[in-house]
Amino acid sequence: MSQETILRSAQVTDARFARSDPPVARWLLIALALLFVGVFLVLPLVAVFAAGLAKGVGAYWAAISDPDAWSAIKLTLLAAAIAVPLNTVFGVAAAWAVTKFDFRGKQLLITLIDLPFAVSPVISGLIFVLLFGSRGIFGPWLIAHSIRILFALPGIILATTFVTFPFVARTLIPLMQAQGMEEEEAAMVLGANGWQIFRRVTLPNIKWGLLYGIILCNARAMGEFGAVSVVSGHIRGLTNTMSLHVEILYNEYQFAGAFAVASLLVLLALVTLVVKCVAEWQQQRLMTVVDEPADEEGT
Amino acid sequence: MGIEVRGVTKRFGKFAALEEINLEVPTGELVALVGPSGSGKTTLLRIIAGLEAADGGTILFHGEDATERSPRDRNVGFVFQHYALFRHMTVFENIAFGLRVRPRRERPPEADIRRRVAELLHLVQLDWVAARYPPQLSGGQRQRVALARALATEPGVLLLDEPFGALDAKVRLELRRWLRSLHNELHVTSLFVTHDQEEALEVADKVVVMNKGKIEQVGTPEEVYDHPANPFVYQFLGSVNLFHGRVHQGEAQIGALNVAVPQHAGAQDMPAVGYARPHDLDVASTSQDGRATEAVIAHVRAVGPVVRLELTGVETGAPLEAEVTRERFRELGLKVGDSVFVTPRNLQVFVGDYAI
Repeated sequence: MSQETILRSAQVTDARFARSDPPVARWLLIALALLFVGVFLVLPLVAVFAAGLAKGVGAYWAAISDPDAWSAIKLTLLAAAIAVPLNTVFGVAAAWAVTKFDFRGKQLLITLIDLPFAVSPVISGLIFVLLFGSRGIFGPWLIAHSIRILFALPGIILATTFVTFPFVARTLIPLMQAQGMEEEEAAMVLGANGWQIFRRVTLPNIKWGLLYGIILCNARAMGEFGAVSVVSGHIRGLTNTMSLHVEILYNEYQFAGAFAVASLLVLLALVTLVVKCVAEWQQQRLMTVVDEPADEEGT
Repeated sequence: MGIEVRGVTKRFGKFAALEEINLEVPTGELVALVGPSGSGKTTLLRIIAGLEAADGGTILFHGEDATERSPRDRNVGFVFQHYALFRHMTVFENIAFGLRVRPRRERPPEADIRRRVAELLHLVQLDWVAARYPPQLSGGQRQRVALARALATEPGVLLLDEPFGALDAKVRLELRRWLRSLHNELHVTSLFVTHDQEEALEVADKVVVMNKGKIEQVGTPEEVYDHPANPFVYQFLGSVNLFHGRVHQGEAQIGALNVAVPQHAGAQDMPAVGYARPHDLDVASTSQDGRATEAVIAHVRAVGPVVRLELTGVETGAPLEAEVTRERFRELGLKVGDSVFVTPRNLQVFVGDYAI
């Protein structure tokens, strides 16, 4: 190796170090981040399962297969099964309207979509009490026609739908804005009707973003506590969702049972996270503009 | 199918994008809409396609009013500047799209679709990319796929919005020649928008020069280049030299130069501007008749078939641009700093003060 080469390789090493922080700072930052993740994310996760299984697998299973727990699971799934499709349809429609058309009041619509994010879930629940409670605006009429909304399934579904309202629209709007509407215009000029344009052009372009939105929406729908707590009335075996059931068990000092049911919610969250990661990765893969290959014009 | 535009107006808020546009594109012609950005050319194209609604006026296809027709019923092909290919479909499916979305009873059988797509791929010389996805193609290839897709439905009119705008210079040049030869083969009525005057002059049968929402001139490339209707067209279609002077009863006095301008016979001592292209300037090292403008050579660009001289007028201080052949350049033995005498050969005189 000649003198010059040695010199140059020394410079290269220097340059590499110059661009990054000193090793101590790097390790310190990494350690801090790991500690934070450990204390605030991993530890609680482990604790939930540990507490749930504290009295053995038998107790764990008993807590989950308890009829009240079982009815809470069914109610949670039912509420999500209704709220998520509703918000999916609404979210796609809203994102489509906002990004593909110009109309009066568009900004207002965008702001309204965000409203459930802006208000506390408890307030969201209270809104429905004010509307449908016995002293609420529609209360007397509802009682006269013996229609139950509060402290019943409709109330829970309404509250869940309201709280999870923005997720799909919010994930789709930036995506669809970035994609523009040239492809839709091209499809229209080629003779496609509205449904064909949506089905064959728009939907394939947004499917991963849409899935991501649905997953987020579903995660929130299953885990929602505040708003549902206000409207449900906590009737065991009837209007208790999983998160409400966990609270009740906890308040009754049935820690193992509470954590057993809670662990189910955690499992749901973990599955959601995995699916979300896949969806995110897919979407990013599609959004990345592929580098233009060199022109090979053989004309 | 010919296109006729009658009195089309379009405003975006207070901005008048198009003012009372009247235009006819005869069947089978290739017409270029050319103008600076913001001149309304793309808006006009989109209104013809139905992608934008005009505030007033009518669009006729083949003599039939199509103003209220949806874009999907206009039977036009549209090529976008950024291709707008369906990114999740293969090239084959992109081209087949227009046929596949037809109502069931009008839809050709699968075998016919395959045959048609294969024909089109052959036409745009891309037989080998059928199974690829748009992001795997180069810009030039993508635009050719977009063109094949637009032609698949056998449109009566082909509309192209800056079709080569996003491509680099060399591919641009190739593609526009190719477009010209394709048009000679297919004879589909075509209207294409460009901001590149060279492209318009080279490709089109007819050029429509637009500025600020109005049509300045319509004519063959020779007409608009050699006989521009006004200073804007003159300026827009190429480099130009300005000579300020006055016009009196059909005679222009520009510096020491006298030019007969019979079209301005009625002018009484009016300010006027004479325009001359760089290749219409005679450059000499001496002044024979004392009527030439003296100038100093500021820069010489001797690359290519002609030598371009950047000059500064001695009296006016104004920059001038002249083009001479290589032989002439050698003959004169010019270099930077030399004094030369310039005489415009083909001066177009416009009366009035045009601020450009």
